[in-house]
This record gives sequence, C-alpha cells and structure tokens, in this order.
Amino acid sequence: MAGSVTLRKGRTAANQGPRATLEAAWVRWTLIGVAIAFLGLFLFMPLAVVFSAALSKGVGTYLAGFREPDAIAAIKLTLLTAAIAVPLNLIFGVAAAWAIAKFDFAGKSLLVTLIDLPFSVSPVVSGLIYVLIFGLQGLLGPWLREHDIKIIFAVPGIILATIFVTFPFVARELIPLIQAQGNEEEEAALTLGAGGWQTFFRVTLPNVKWGLLYGVIICNARAMGEFGAVSVVSGHIRGLTNTMPLHIEILYNEYQYVPAFAVASLLALLALVTLVVKSVVEWKSQERIEEPQENWGMEPA
Amino acid sequence: MSIEAIGITKRFGRFTALDDVSLEIPSGELVALLGPSGSGKTTLLRIIAGLEFADPGTVRFDGRDISDHSVRERQVGFVFQHYALFRHMTVFENIAFGLRVRPRKFRPSEAKIRAKVQELLKLIQLETLAQRFPSQLSGGQRQRVALARALAVEPSVLLLDEPFGALDAKVRQELRRWLRQLHDEIHITSVFVTHDQEEALELANRVVVMDHGRIEQVGTPDEVYNYPATPFVYNFLGNVNLFHGRVDDGKTYIHERETGHLVYVRPHLLDIDRHPNGGDHFRARIKHINSAGPLVKVEAITEWGALVHVELSQDRFRNLALLKDEAVFVIPRDVKVFEVPTRAKTA
Repeated sequence: MAGSVTLRKGRTAANQGPRATLEAAWVRWTLIGVAIAFLGLFLFMPLAVVFSAALSKGVGTYLAGFREPDAIAAIKLTLLTAAIAVPLNLIFGVAAAWAIAKFDFAGKSLLVTLIDLPFSVSPVVSGLIYVLIFGLQGLLGPWLREHDIKIIFAVPGIILATIFVTFPFVARELIPLIQAQGNEEEEAALTLGAGGWQTFFRVTLPNVKWGLLYGVIICNARAMGEFGAVSVVSGHIRGLTNTMPLHIEILYNEYQYVPAFAVASLLALLALVTLVVKSVVEWKSQERIEEPQENWGMEPA
Repeated sequence: MSIEAIGITKRFGRFTALDDVSLEIPSGELVALLGPSGSGKTTLLRIIAGLEFADPGTVRFDGRDISDHSVRERQVGFVFQHYALFRHMTVFENIAFGLRVRPRKFRPSEAKIRAKVQELLKLIQLETLAQRFPSQLSGGQRQRVALARALAVEPSVLLLDEPFGALDAKVRQELRRWLRQLHDEIHITSVFVTHDQEEALELANRVVVMDHGRIEQVGTPDEVYNYPATPFVYNFLGNVNLFHGRVDDGKTYIHERETGHLVYVRPHLLDIDRHPNGGDHFRARIKHINSAGPLVKVEAITEWGALVHVELSQDRFRNLALLKDEAVFVIPRDVKVFEVPTRAKTA
C-alpha cells in the first residue's frame, strides 16, 4: 500500500533530568539506606549464618550431613511431595483461573474466596483439619482403618497438607493475567475452526506461559519449605515421614547444629535458585509486553 | 452464501440488545450494519457468526437453519474490532492457524499450507513481514493480517466488527478502498459493523440502519441517505437542522413551538442570501463562520433564537462576502417532514 507514515513514540520522561515527583537527595539516600540496613539485618545476615554454620566444621562434615540415611529419606520425601503437589496444583490452578476469568457462574466469588483460604488460615490449622478428617478419631477414621488406609502420620497426609497449603499460588497468578487478556483471541480461534482443547493449548496457554511458570516456581518453593501443616500430619517418624524442614527441626533440637544447617543450606539454596529463576521469568515476561512498536504506519510500498 | 436472520431477540440481563430483528442478505453482497453504540449491531453480527446465540430467533445460511450450529461448524470468517491476532505467533503462523487446526483428514499438506499463506500474504501486500510478530506491526497491517487469517479457511461469509474503528483517518481511507476492491474480486457475502455513516455509505451495497435493538431502514446508500424512512435515519446519516413545524395544504411552515411535526433540513440544503427572493425563508444572524474545508460552515441564530447550521460552497460564500453578526435570510431548498414520533427522539 502506498504512503509511508512513520511515527516515533516520544521517549519517556524518566531520563530527562529532575522531575516534579523526585524527592531531595538526602531523603532518597536515607530511605535507600534504611531499606538496605533492614534487608541486611533480617535477610542477608541470616542467610550468611546458615551457610557459615553449615560449613563451620569443614566441607567434609558438611557433606556428611547429607549422607545420613534419615537425611536422604527426608530429601526424597520432600522431592516426592513437591513432584505430586505441584503438578496437581498446576492443573487445579489453570482450571480454576480459566473458569473464573472466562465465565460467569453462580458461586464464583465464593470460589475465589475459597482459593484464598489457605493464605488466610494458619498452616497449623490446615494440618489439624486433616487430622480431624482422616485421623483415627476423625470423621473418616473408622472407615479408613477398616480398609487399612493410612493417611495421617503417613506420606499421603503430608502430600494432602502440602497440596492444601500451596493451591492458591498458580490460580492467584493466572486469574488477573487471563482476565486482562480477554476472550477475543479464543473467539478468533473458534471462528477459525479450532476445538476447545486446540484453542486452550495453542492460544490460551502460550499467552500465559510466563505467568504460569512464575506460579509454578513459587508453588514449588512453598511445597518444599512447608513446615506447619506438614508438621501436624507427619508424626515425625524418622526415615519415613520427615520432610526436609521437619528433619532440620529434629536435628536442631538434638543439638546437631552442623547437619541441621547443612540441610537448611540446601533449602536456602533452593530459595536462591527460585529467586533467580523468578527474576529471569519476570524479566522475560516484561520483555514480551514491552516489545517495541516503533513503526505505526504502513510499510513503504 | 445468503444470510437470513429471522425474529432475533437477544437480552443481556434486563437490557434488550436486539428486539425481534429480521434481516435478509442476498449472496455476494457487502452490507453495513450502521448505528450508534448500543444499537445492537455488533450483537447481531455475533449472532450471525455463532459467537452469541439468539434468545428466540433463527439464522439461516442459504436457506439452511444453522441456529444451533456452533461457531466452529458455521465456517464464517470473523474479523475482530481489535484484530485479536495471536500475539505469540508470527504473521505467517497467524494466517496458517485455521488450516493447521483442521482434523488430520481435512488438513492440507505443509506445502499446500505454505502456498496458501504466501498467496494471502501477497493479497494483503505483506509478503516481507511474514516472520514478524503482531506487536511489531502497525494498526493497518494488523487489520490486513486479521483479514487474511479469516480468509485462509475459505469461509462462506465474511463478518467484520468495526473493521476500521481503531485506525487513523488516512489508513482507514486506504483500507476501505482496498476492502471494496477485494470484495469486487472474490464476491464473498460480507457484513461489517460500523458507527461511521460515511464508511457505511461509501463501502456497502446495502446499509442496515439500526437503533435501540431495531432495524430502522434497509436500503442502498442512496436510498437511506436521500429517502430516509424515519427521523432517526435522517438524523444519523449526516448533519441536520431540526425545527418544529406544521403542514398545511402541502406547504410546510416552521414554528417556534412544538406543533406535531418535525422539519429536518440538511445544512447543505440551506442557502443564505441578503434578500428574501420571494420564496420560503426565515431571518437569522450569523454567529460563526468556518471556511476551512471544501464547504464553508456557517452557524447562525434564527429570529426565534435557535441555532441553525448552513453549508455553502466556497464560491457562493465568496460571492456573498458574509460577515460575522450580519443579518441575513436563510432559504431552505429542500426539507423533510416527519410526524413527531411517540418515542421522543431529539436532535
């Protein structure tokens, strides 16, 4: 098509000298200083302490902490719990976010509230709920005993409690994202002859993949680090029902500081990796939103 | 393929978007659904597409009742107002989408898909941009990609929702001409929604004027513009002066107060002169003159204090050499009289 109209968007005002909203230098530096001091005291120092305590008796002792059978069992159980809880919450989160963002139905606001429930309830209470339902004296206790199914003080209980505590993460991340994207692309896919699943996998999912990954990372971090709810339902049976956080607590209570901090450093490392991946994901998704749109007109003929 | 909509009613909660609307679109036509926002035009388009379903009402393609068919089964090409391009796919993949999602039995080979997409890229003159993402395209380019994507599946009808709404004036003009040409070439039955009367009159074979969920008039652009069926149509298609009036022995009188008739006059059908010339006329005082553009727009205050808009040719304006605050005679060349409708509609 003829005609070439090239408009360039003006640069943002951010890098054009002082702005009306900018505070005086001393205010800025005081605020930044306070923030850094706070972070240092409550975040970096504990992190450094974890690693220095873990390594205080040398690398050999540090590594020995992981070779202990109970430690290996705890790590395995943690990985197993996350491997089951995270995919289930991924499916649940996507389904719930899809339903809430795309459709209007009776009880929608109730569902949103229920999704937030694990955030607002203390993890210990969450654990107790499971004991009251599945425990020997619980609602389903007699039936479970008859059929020889063990949930409380066993692996299934730990997995259930973890799923409960971590289920808002993926859904919470996706709901605003899917809502913001509207229905038009899906409708377009349908008019082009795509089926429901094709529309979901080819259009909806690729559009939210970064948000989804973010939700999964956070969900995974919480699933591996969960203490309260798991502590109530686990029964602390060494080598059987101890996850990493529970194992750390036991070691610490027995004054085995080096092995305790060694396992703790593993969790701390996981947190650091999570933070790095999270930053990369955030940066990636930001990049996609802010792709340059310089040429607004028609291309030269 | 011909389209028939019969007795379509659609409610959203307590709001009636369409009120028993019937419409027939012969095969191969290019039809505009024209109306203000909230007139139900987009809802009607979406019901034809199968993106919404009528409460009661029937939709027929070529006489076949397809009211219960899903959007997928109807095989319509739909172009969305904001294009709705798949933002994570290149231009090429956007256009190929409709072919790729077909069941394996009906899916063309990769080579055939490529050939088809290339052909469409050529049609929309974007061959060089096949590997770009939608965010790297201008509005006009996105619109053309959306159109190519809709045409890729060889739809039986093409439906466009405010296709040029989000574009600037110049690009809009170009695309309008291009779409007209495209329709002349492929003769696909096309329906587009617009609130822009100029766009509807310029582009369509037939214009469907809608208001408040009802069809006010269906006709060629000439018919709806020159022979409007209702005050609303007259009012909506172009600027208009509205007076109260009375009809006596086939002669129209303009009054100050409500009299049971409404007199509509388009600004370009009013003339200004310094002498009454013996014909119909009323007095006015010139308030404002805007001489930029093909016509000179004059605002004047009538002798009974109402505002009247007059459009004069540049020649006429220069001959008269009108001045602000000058007292003149306004001479109507043609007026349109309607009885005051029961549903109050003011200009």
